[in-house]
Amino acid sequence: MFAKLKKKIAEEAATAPRSGGRMPRSMSKESITSVGADSGDDFASDGSSSRDDLPSQILRKNDHIRKLEAKLADYAEQLRLLQKTKEKLEIALETHQDSSMRKLQDQNESYQTNRAKMAEGMALALEKKDQEWMEKMAVLDQEKATLSARLAEMTEQSLSLFQKRDDLDELEGFQQQELAKVKHMLLKREEQLGQQERNLEQKEGELQTATQALAEAQGRLHELEQEHTESGRLNTELKAEREELLLVREEMELKVSQLETKEQQLQQLIQQVSEDFQQSQQTTLSLEKSLADLQKEHEELKLQQEQHRQKTLVEEEERERVLGNLQEKASSLQRRLESDLSQDEHLQELLKEKSLLEQRVEEARGELLQERTSRSSTVSSQEAQISRLNSNVTELQTLLRHKDDSNKAYRERTDEQIGALEQQVENFSQKLRSAELLLAESEAHTQTLQADWSEERERLQQQVATQRQRGLERCARLEEQLAALRTQTDTEHATAQEAKRELEEQKAELQRRHEEVESSLHTRTQELEQARADMSSRQTVNVEIAKALEDTRKQKEELQLQVGELTASQQTLQQEVSQLSGQLAAKEAEIQDLKEALNAAHAETEQMRAQAAERDQEHEAQLAAFRQEVISQTEQLDSCQSRVSDLQGELESMSVQLQGPEVGEGEQNGTVTVDDLDQLQKINKDLEQQLGDKNKTIKQLQQRLAELKRTLQKELKLKPDTETDGKEKVLEGRDRLERQMDRPSTEASGSAMAPTLAPGPSYASGSSGTTVINSSDLTDSREINFEYLKHVVLKFMSCREAEAFHLIRAVSVLLHFSPEEEAMLKQTLEYKMSWFGSKPSPKGTIRPSISASSNSASIMSASPNHWS
Amino acid sequence: MGGFFSSLFSGLFGTREMRILILGLDGAGKTTILYRLQVGEVVTTIPTIGFNVETVTYKNLKFQVWDLGGQTSIRPYWRCYYSNTDAVIYVVDSSDRDRMGISKSELVAMLEEEELKKAILVVFANKQDMEQAMTPTEVANSLGLPALKDRKWQIFKTSATKGTGLDEAMEWLVEALKSRQ
Repeated sequence: MFAKLKKKIAEEAATAPRSGGRMPRSMSKESITSVGADSGDDFASDGSSSRDDLPSQILRKNDHIRKLEAKLADYAEQLRLLQKTKEKLEIALETHQDSSMRKLQDQNESYQTNRAKMAEGMALALEKKDQEWMEKMAVLDQEKATLSARLAEMTEQSLSLFQKRDDLDELEGFQQQELAKVKHMLLKREEQLGQQERNLEQKEGELQTATQALAEAQGRLHELEQEHTESGRLNTELKAEREELLLVREEMELKVSQLETKEQQLQQLIQQVSEDFQQSQQTTLSLEKSLADLQKEHEELKLQQEQHRQKTLVEEEERERVLGNLQEKASSLQRRLESDLSQDEHLQELLKEKSLLEQRVEEARGELLQERTSRSSTVSSQEAQISRLNSNVTELQTLLRHKDDSNKAYRERTDEQIGALEQQVENFSQKLRSAELLLAESEAHTQTLQADWSEERERLQQQVATQRQRGLERCARLEEQLAALRTQTDTEHATAQEAKRELEEQKAELQRRHEEVESSLHTRTQELEQARADMSSRQTVNVEIAKALEDTRKQKEELQLQVGELTASQQTLQQEVSQLSGQLAAKEAEIQDLKEALNAAHAETEQMRAQAAERDQEHEAQLAAFRQEVISQTEQLDSCQSRVSDLQGELESMSVQLQGPEVGEGEQNGTVTVDDLDQLQKINKDLEQQLGDKNKTIKQLQQRLAELKRTLQKELKLKPDTETDGKEKVLEGRDRLERQMDRPSTEASGSAMAPTLAPGPSYASGSSGTTVINSSDLTDSREINFEYLKHVVLKFMSCREAEAFHLIRAVSVLLHFSPEEEAMLKQTLEYKMSWFGSKPSPKGTIRPSISASSNSASIMSASPNHWS
Repeated sequence: MGGFFSSLFSGLFGTREMRILILGLDGAGKTTILYRLQVGEVVTTIPTIGFNVETVTYKNLKFQVWDLGGQTSIRPYWRCYYSNTDAVIYVVDSSDRDRMGISKSELVAMLEEEELKKAILVVFANKQDMEQAMTPTEVANSLGLPALKDRKWQIFKTSATKGTGLDEAMEWLVEALKSRQ
């Protein structure tokens, strides 16, 4: 091609001068403008000549034809000119082609030279670089080789390290396992230890308690021993006491015997006394006899005395009378003598004297009688005294049987008294006799006698009384002594017996206590022995436990040692591992460094390569640019050629047709397809954008969905299920349900739907595919409500009326009672709670089947009364 | 018949049983509080499906205490028990911060009831033994108690399991009921 072009260029250059290229251009321009100007004038003349007549038109046409011919000639000239211009253009084209070819050739040559130079330079540089790179590569290869070797080693090492690590891990695992086992064992051991320690502690506690018990027991033992010793001491003391008491008892017995002997003696004495008494009684009897005799004598004497007294009385009376008369006589005589009185007076006085004398006589008689009576009374009193004395004597004899001496003395005294009395009696008789003798002589004698007698009597009485008192006193004393002695003996006896009994009791008690103490001692000793046995067993157990503990401790220590060893080994292993890991890390670091170096080298090489490639690319780009330039130029050429051809076509079309459409349909088609493509691409892009948007929206929706699910799950605490739209709806439905549950229908309580039934339709409206879940939920809520209903009804039936009254509302709400039914229930409860009032009849629709007939309703209303 | 006599005696001696409701969300500790008040012991409870009613005597005052189950499904039935109520013990789980809002809404709905207009409100900030428990003032603020008008109320920090705070609360309640009569 270039050769042809060169040839052409050479030919053209030879044929056409260089300056000729510009000339035709200017020429053609001028010709074109001139042609245009001419044609413009022609057209203007055509316009002006169109209004003329046909001939003129024909003329004009002819003119026009002429003009057209002229124009044709012009065109022909223009054609010629155009041909000239064409030729010129061709020439110019050729020149241009030549120049361009030349330029191209020059450029090509220069380029080729450049390229060759560049190639050479590049080759050189490349060779150099290659050499360098090769060297570097070699070095790098060597390094690489070494590094790879190292890597291999490293990998081997790492592998070995990994293996080691694995081994280590395994070892660690084993160690951990073993450690765990050991720990487990340790823990177990520790637990056992703890248990054993606890047991030990318990046992120690038991031991302590046992020791405490032992100590207590020993204390008790000590106490008991002390008690025992005390009791022994007491026993001995008591024995001593007992002995003493026995001695005392013996003494007492002796005393008792003595007393008994004394008693016997006393009894003997008493017997003697009784005998004496009997004797004394006998004597008293004899004395009484004598006394009776004496009394008889006394009576006799009395009689005699009375006789004497009567005699004396008579004599006395006579004497008194004589005396009185004498006295009267003497007085009258004296009066007569002394005073000279009248006869009447004398008589009166005599009468007075007489009366006086008579009075005196009577007085004397009274006195005598008095004396007699007094005497008789004295006698009788004496007799009474005697009898009393006798009785006293008898009493004294009865009382003073054991007192011989006194008795005797008394007897003697009595004898003496009796003697004295007898003597007295005799004296009395003598005195009586003397009195009888002397009675006649004087009244005074009798009086003196009487006085003496009375005195003597008094004395006697006193004596008797004193003696009696003495005797009584003595008797009382003796009795008291006796009683005291008896009581003493009795009390001594009783005390002795009591003491004996007490001693026996004490002895028995002591024996019992002794036995008890012995038994307790025995039990204590047994307990002690048991405790000792327990102690010994526990000690053995303790020893065993201690052994076990020691064993466990040893084991523990061993284990600890093992653990220590293991830990040491582990530590060493870990150290090794750490060292190895350090080494590994170092090596890895080295490897990394090497890798980095390698990478750097690679990068460098790559950079170099890239540079080379860039250069290549640049070169190639340059080449491509050149080629493109060439192509563009060829294209330009082509276009020029096409233009030329177009022009030629135009020319041809121009030549064929004066006016031809110069519109390139091919080009249009091409643009159309491009437009289509663009449109398609645009549509495509739009579609892609739409797709992306839709994807985005889908993602957003999915995110929202996920969020919604999460929130719902949180709210409902449900397990996350597989994402389905139906589920979502269910959740929404449930949410709605919950809202409904939370806000119960605040309409009429009876007629309002319970929350159990309310969510039904909402569920049904949710979706058809989720009815199963809905129904399960429904049944769940129903179950809860059923349970609630059950509980409430149960409570309603079982609780008190006061509480049940508050439950009516809940029951009626749960069972959907009508207000009438609720009111009825309330009335019934009120009736039950109150004392008065009548049972409310069930009205409304409790039994809808029966309520239709009033009779049956009344029956039904009457029947519950039997039930209530 | 026992009811007759009890009603008769109560009528004669004028000791009407005070009716108290224990309300609150499920798991707040209502049943534990009820039995702590009645027997003074901590009993193991199961979720109350229904209610518990016990007679508690405190300072010569007889209380008929109703512990109503607090589960969501049976909470609507609370309003069946509102009539003739003297006091409401509202139990709040102080450690349950999440459901404090639900508790508040339930409380507000309860207090709006006409039948409970004269009832005294005692709030038990229960489970104070828990570490994350809210203080009584926090509980009161989160329940909106300070905004209450025409209502005699008091809040107490309690622990039913430890038995703390219940005596003070009951003392206050007794005084409030006595002063109201």
